[in-house]
Amino acid sequence: MDSKNSMENVFSKLGDLKQFFVFGQKIVPVIQKIIDFMSDIVPLLENVNNSIQDSTSKIPKASNQINSVTSANEIATSEILDIIDDMFVDLSTIKNGLAELKTDQNSEKIKALNEVVEKIEMDSSRITISLQVQDITSQQLASVNHLIDSVQDKLSSLLSDLGKQQDKPIPKFDPNSITGQDSDYALSNGTFNENARYDRSTEKQDLVDTLVLENTKTSQEEIDKLFAK
Amino acid sequence: MTQKKFLVVDDSTTMRRIVANSLKAIGYTDFVEAGDGREAISKLDADSTINFIITDWNMPEVSGLELVRSIRSNDKYGKLPILMVTTRGLKEDILEALQAKVNNYVVKPFTPQILREKIDQILASI
Repeated sequence: MDSKNSMENVFSKLGDLKQFFVFGQKIVPVIQKIIDFMSDIVPLLENVNNSIQDSTSKIPKASNQINSVTSANEIATSEILDIIDDMFVDLSTIKNGLAELKTDQNSEKIKALNEVVEKIEMDSSRITISLQVQDITSQQLASVNHLIDSVQDKLSSLLSDLGKQQDKPIPKFDPNSITGQDSDYALSNGTFNENARYDRSTEKQDLVDTLVLENTKTSQEEIDKLFAK
Repeated sequence: MTQKKFLVVDDSTTMRRIVANSLKAIGYTDFVEAGDGREAISKLDADSTINFIITDWNMPEVSGLELVRSIRSNDKYGKLPILMVTTRGLKEDILEALQAKVNNYVVKPFTPQILREKIDQILASI
């Protein structure tokens, strides 16, 4: 009886073994497909990884280029302001000269020339106003740089997770690294208004004036109430 | 016109020059400059003849708004008139500046006429 049970047990085990081999035969092609897929995907992931690393390494260059633009604009604006200052000095000399040359005979002519000088002064003043665009665009560019910096942080974090950071460290963007250029922007990185716009309409100033007026009224009403008590 | 000594605070050299030129254009010739709020406080501590402040908002170290709050909490120069000149034109920004007790507010880009108008309004109200 024991021998019969043992044999049945052996046959049962053999049956299980057979089923295992049958299952193995079925599963082997699937495993092979997984291996093939992994073989294909690993170089692809490596490519993605390298691309991210490559892009990340280029970000500091992009940031520095933006800074260079800001710096160049500032230098050029400063040069224009220098020229305008010189023009005002020259125009003042002309005005004084015209005053000395003025006689009863040429007073009309001198008056006309003075009007031309005043027009040039007003135009120069208008150029100065337009140069405020430099400050406004530098804040817009600073905002872009801030965005780029955030992307770099995210990509660096991703690369760090993928273990790539150790192979080739990514240079971190340093706003003070612009050689040979004294950039105000470099000192004020991050201190910008991302909504800065060069808008010559009076809409914003009108809003300011309304709010200032309301604020003044409220303050005056509060003062009046205090004195009424 | 009562002569005033202005403190012009802006981190942009260009803007400091433009504000200074605009002040000259409207008849004010006495001014000192500071590149940020911290420098402005140093100038105020050192020079008691300063009697009008024109400040930007977005600056490194100490911002214009922090500068305004710092000035207003100071016994020595807490009552000096302050005009904020900034690119920030949103309603909440303007209200925040007014709550910090700026006397008036100008949105960039500005003209010398606007600057004169606001300075005159401030001087008439104090």
